[in-house]
Amino acid sequence: MAMTVELSASAESEPVAKAAAPGRLRRWTRPALGLLLPLGLALAWELIVGLGYSNGRLVPPPTKIFATIVDLARSGELTRHIVATLSRVFAGFALGVVAGTLLGAVAGYWSLARRLLDPTVQALRAIPSIAWVPLFILWLGIFETSKVALIAVGVFFPVYLGVMGAIMSVDRKIVEVGRTFRLSGPTMIRRILLPAVLPAYVVSLRVGLGLGWMFVVAAEFMGASEGLGYLLIDGQQLGKPAQILAAIVIFAILGKTTDWLIEIGFAPLLRWQDAFSRQSGGA
Amino acid sequence: MLVLDRVGKIYPNGVNALERFSAEINLGEIVAIIGGSGCGKSTLLRTVAGLDRATSGTVTLDNISIVAPHAKIGIIFQEPRLLPWLSVADNIGFGLSDLPAAARREKVARALARVGLSDKANAWPRELSGGQAQRVAIARALVPQPEVLLLDEPFSALDAFTRRDLQDHLLDLWADTRPTLVLVTHDVDEAVVLADRALVMRPRPGRLFEEIRINLARPRDRNSPLFDSFKRRVLTALDRSLDRNVPDREAKSNAGEAMWW
Repeated sequence: MAMTVELSASAESEPVAKAAAPGRLRRWTRPALGLLLPLGLALAWELIVGLGYSNGRLVPPPTKIFATIVDLARSGELTRHIVATLSRVFAGFALGVVAGTLLGAVAGYWSLARRLLDPTVQALRAIPSIAWVPLFILWLGIFETSKVALIAVGVFFPVYLGVMGAIMSVDRKIVEVGRTFRLSGPTMIRRILLPAVLPAYVVSLRVGLGLGWMFVVAAEFMGASEGLGYLLIDGQQLGKPAQILAAIVIFAILGKTTDWLIEIGFAPLLRWQDAFSRQSGGA
Repeated sequence: MLVLDRVGKIYPNGVNALERFSAEINLGEIVAIIGGSGCGKSTLLRTVAGLDRATSGTVTLDNISIVAPHAKIGIIFQEPRLLPWLSVADNIGFGLSDLPAAARREKVARALARVGLSDKANAWPRELSGGQAQRVAIARALVPQPEVLLLDEPFSALDAFTRRDLQDHLLDLWADTRPTLVLVTHDVDEAVVLADRALVMRPRPGRLFEEIRINLARPRDRNSPLFDSFKRRVLTALDRSLDRNVPDREAKSNAGEAMWW
């Protein structure tokens, strides 16, 4: 009893304290706090190298990484590598999403299909995806196809699982509402099932995309003449740590940007879900 | 007229939920089905709604056999069951998708005004209180103008004050088009406030136990002695349906003994 009283007291006092701080300040200070550590470390390293305490050969200072990016961009190399990597990710992501959505939907909606299909898919999922690489190279060659296939495999599983799980966990009570209004099969899917699974679907897309970025590096390690993964390998072989770090920074930017694109792309459709958290966050 | 003819339901796991339930319910009548837990009242309602199929007997509405959800039958559940991704207005218009948009908007606006939620038209369901959400559910069920409206313990999740409020509100809405109301409840007060007739059920297996006509003029005063006496009659019947009323049972067995002697 005392426990619940305490809990409610602290839960109440927190929003009050938050509301007391001016909203505008809070909106900027919170991300700024997160930036403090990396920026501080970068600045410190820059100073250490600049003052000659370290030569910075293996861990180049931020300005050198930035200069490397600018050099790559100026020569047009950077665009070529980014386009190569992005197109692989997109092709693989698209394939994986289409296959994962279709099979996941079939398995989630139709229990006979689930019993037939799911054990096999789960068994395949247990195989580390990188293990497919030699086989894909034998089957599909060393060029683009095998790379795209590997990425698609990585994207497929989270999307498949997400869609199947989301459909299976749709609230029976809501489906019953659809039944009382005599919705036909396709209408039921459009008006009840699709909106109900959408939040989980977006999450699985984002997880899938994350894996897509992971696997594009693996794919580009296995022999590529362009792409950000190639920049990594090239930097290692020619001893250019600044180039490696530059590629890593660009990976981070691209990964975050594409994830954000999915998020804002679906945001209008998920406003109903979002309304609460945005309200309480903005208050 | 809604006719239930010896409706029975045995679930696949062997539970005999409902046995030979018969009733005739006239258009515009309000019938409360009341009974202890496990007496099959929800099963009965789901069968009438066409959500479940009876294992024996038939449900007919105006000579149409009901085996699946029907346009003339609406249902309100214990929970509002609003679709969280639709605004309040779109939830109310959910069953009107066949209508052109303008007609639909007009009907929805009228229904919103009727349940006193015009200012919430564009709110999300999650922003509503329990009572408001149930009002939206009532509006959603009434807006297609069903001939029969089924209510499955519609106010049992609400606090006493809101419940009273919504009971009066329901009667008010009912007076607009006078559909048949079939209300499942375990609240004696609710049955006596709303119903023309209370059908008391007894459990294991669910059967009709007693029928009580509630001949009280509307609006009904919850504090009148007559209201109390009807309440007591329903309560007594409920007690007997659960074999709990000792004095009455003695009277019966005494009579039996006397005859036996």
